[in-house]
Amino acid sequence: MNKVGRDEAGLKTLLMGNEAIARGAVEAGIKVGVGYPGTPSSEVGEVLGELAPELGFYFEWSLNEKVAIDVASGAALTGARTLVMMKNAGLNVAMDTFATLPYTGTRGGLVVVVADDPGAHYSSTEQDTRVLSQYAEMPCLEPKDQQQAKDMTAAAFVLSEKLEMPIFLRSVTRLSHASGDVILGGIGEAPLEVGWNKHFKHPFRWAVYGPPGGAAGRHGWLKEQYPAFLAESENSPFNKLAINPDSRVAVVSSGMGTSYVNDALTALKQQGACSVLEIGFVYPPPVEKMKQILQAADSILVVEEGNPMLENALKELASDLGLKKTIVGRSTKAVIPAFNELNPDLVMKAVSGLLGVTIPTVKLDPASLQRAEELTVPRSSALCAGCPHLGSYAALAQVMKKLKDDLVIVNGDIGCYEQGGYGLAAQVITPTSDATRKYPVSSPYEILDTTYVMGSGIGQAMGQRRALAGDSSKKVAAVAGDSTFFHACLPAVAGASLYNTDITFLVLDNSWTCMTGHQPSPRSSVDGMGAKIDTLDIAAVCKAMSVKCLKTANAYNLEEATAAVREAIDFPGFAVVILSGECMLQVLRRDGSKEPKTHVVTETCIGCKACVRVGCPATLFDPKTKKAGIDPLLCVDCGLCAQVCPVSAIVTE
Amino acid sequence: MELNVMICGVGGQGSVRASHILAEAAINAGERARVGETFGAAMRGGKVSSHVRIGDVYGPLIRERSADIVVAQEPLEGLRIGQKFASPQGVVVLNPAPVYPVDVSTGNAEYPPIEEIEKTLRGLAGKVAVIEGTRIAGEIGNPRSMNIVMLGAAYGTGLITFDRQILLDVIAAAFKPKFKEMNEQAFLAGEKACRDVLR
Ligand SMILES: Cc1ncc(C[n+]2csc(CCOP(=O)(O)OP(=O)(O)O)c2C)c(N)n1
Repeated sequence: MNKVGRDEAGLKTLLMGNEAIARGAVEAGIKVGVGYPGTPSSEVGEVLGELAPELGFYFEWSLNEKVAIDVASGAALTGARTLVMMKNAGLNVAMDTFATLPYTGTRGGLVVVVADDPGAHYSSTEQDTRVLSQYAEMPCLEPKDQQQAKDMTAAAFVLSEKLEMPIFLRSVTRLSHASGDVILGGIGEAPLEVGWNKHFKHPFRWAVYGPPGGAAGRHGWLKEQYPAFLAESENSPFNKLAINPDSRVAVVSSGMGTSYVNDALTALKQQGACSVLEIGFVYPPPVEKMKQILQAADSILVVEEGNPMLENALKELASDLGLKKTIVGRSTKAVIPAFNELNPDLVMKAVSGLLGVTIPTVKLDPASLQRAEELTVPRSSALCAGCPHLGSYAALAQVMKKLKDDLVIVNGDIGCYEQGGYGLAAQVITPTSDATRKYPVSSPYEILDTTYVMGSGIGQAMGQRRALAGDSSKKVAAVAGDSTFFHACLPAVAGASLYNTDITFLVLDNSWTCMTGHQPSPRSSVDGMGAKIDTLDIAAVCKAMSVKCLKTANAYNLEEATAAVREAIDFPGFAVVILSGECMLQVLRRDGSKEPKTHVVTETCIGCKACVRVGCPATLFDPKTKKAGIDPLLCVDCGLCAQVCPVSAIVTE
Repeated sequence: MELNVMICGVGGQGSVRASHILAEAAINAGERARVGETFGAAMRGGKVSSHVRIGDVYGPLIRERSADIVVAQEPLEGLRIGQKFASPQGVVVLNPAPVYPVDVSTGNAEYPPIEEIEKTLRGLAGKVAVIEGTRIAGEIGNPRSMNIVMLGAAYGTGLITFDRQILLDVIAAAFKPKFKEMNEQAFLAGEKACRDVLR
């Protein structure tokens, strides 16, 4: 069994933050786990899915976060302890339900786990979802390390049942995707009987519009709960106050900020030198403890990951109390920048500034440092060797080249294929201010014009088409992967078909949700717990939505794929092309890797770089000999480079 | 006590695995441990770095110029991470086998000469030990055990003070039983190579 599920209370082991959260749920005796993958949150669901069959609960990868939170709340209303997980952006998708749930509350423990991504390593924004828990008036916990992630998750279920309210657990990349020592607790059982009572404690408890008072009445009820939330926060073991009566300065921190502060105080040998307030129950924050620290200190540093939420709360409280204090943090650029994630250097600087101590300096050889900078070249993100998206993009690029003067807008979407809009870091781009301008595309990494969020590509294509109405020389296309297709594209496909919007929609079907770590998609024939299931048929879905021009092609067969894309782009109306090819990494995992046979016949190679333009990391080019080559450690014999070689210099046997 | 080890390389080389092994071993040896990972969007071939922190530590990230050991599974990544994180007293353990970035294969950039990388790092870190991890692993029977050779090399710096057997036990548990002997050989070969170079 996965070590996360071991029934060995007291065992000290290394857990990733996401594993620790899953463990906390298991210790609380969850009955239903649900989520939609998204870095850095996915492992919470992966681990729950792996443990579910053995420990006897249910786990599902829902088709998007809105569905996930609905499935989760449905389960929780029956009394079942339920965890729902997603990444930051996922909460935006789930927002409608999320913002409404507190109006009824819950019966069974419901924990909403959201992993934020300060620094936007894997995300379209740095959004701080703690603010959204405040917006929804839902209590929020924020762990500082892996041990606390486990303990808080388990405690959140108890709290949720006590307050009859969903509890929000906010993680961040540096918690979710970091590991630390955790002492396991025992695997427990949930106390509530699962059942159904439509008038549970209130008439029509689960009908937001229902009597008495409708939604506004329920909002009033939620407001009445606030003192109980606050009392929990005041008494929470996750909020710790230590006053140093000999100091007039203080640090207030939450989540990962607390860990960085502890590191800084340790490195500076200043533990205990000032008053500290560590806040783990961040909404509502512990007002009494905040008052005490305001009274104990004149100068306060607030270290939190994301928006200045606690900082502003402290400032407001100080002003309510008529106290003039210096409170600095995220909103004070010179102390902590207003964007990007915290790091230990930054926090050390802020803490040393507060305490008036100096950081020991490190002497470095400036010449070596300068030389190192000169020598370092970028390593741009690239699609994997043999990725089917390379074939789809090569086909699209060939069609775009043949269209010559026509402008093709290609709207991207979110998945491995979004790398089609990353460019290559070492390449110099010169922007212009023209309204219309066509740029050459020399690699798949330049093919996309837009990338926003899941499902936005097809909708933006529809808008561009309407705005550019009458100019048929401007072709408009969009791409999306199979997981994204089912997550966020279905209503847009229905709309484009209904209004026959003249765009081409390429579905890049690699059978998995790859970018987030190969969770199953509706194309994978496996569910979130590893059981075999039937797949959903994308072509059948499009047919049912009355799509008139529907093409399918093998992403690894360039001739076939190019012809399909060309016909779709020429079609005057909404056209869908499904380009299929299973993710090569998944194929290799299942079938094992073989010595590649693909190689370049150097004498035949004319150095035209057609193969290099496919953008495969296994294709090399020697600028001295002007000959292409294949890296045998990376090549997987997909054959794409051989298909573009005009002189058949690449041989695959 | 505080020991900071940075393990860097390219996606697919096993640096995350190696960092978890080291941290798990530290916990088994009675220490506290943290691992912070940073990787990009790419599944394979992207730059990856793992911060391993052992001892009296709280957060998962190493401060700049505070890594006691930088394990570079790939030279360009060793240069990138070494210049930022290697402590001037620290040791860089460098596998000199390059993995070319697309920027180089598409002709947009030139891969720096390995000797230059080594020379530059010598100016920034206390010591640089070039350990031919990929070659040694290949000779032992599987180039994929390079990450274990390099872990052995990190142990060979002498800065990791807990018992070698604790690490070997965690390695044995982390892979299929049939790899046990090979991984042990890989670890010991890396350790010896590093001790020989640093002597
Ligand atoms: C709202 C939201 N939820 C989750 C994610 C995380 N995420 C990034 S890409 C992706 C889907 C990738 O699958 P697919 O579209 O099939 O493309 P592939 O990576 O397989 O090429 C997901 C779920 C996100 N970016 N936004």
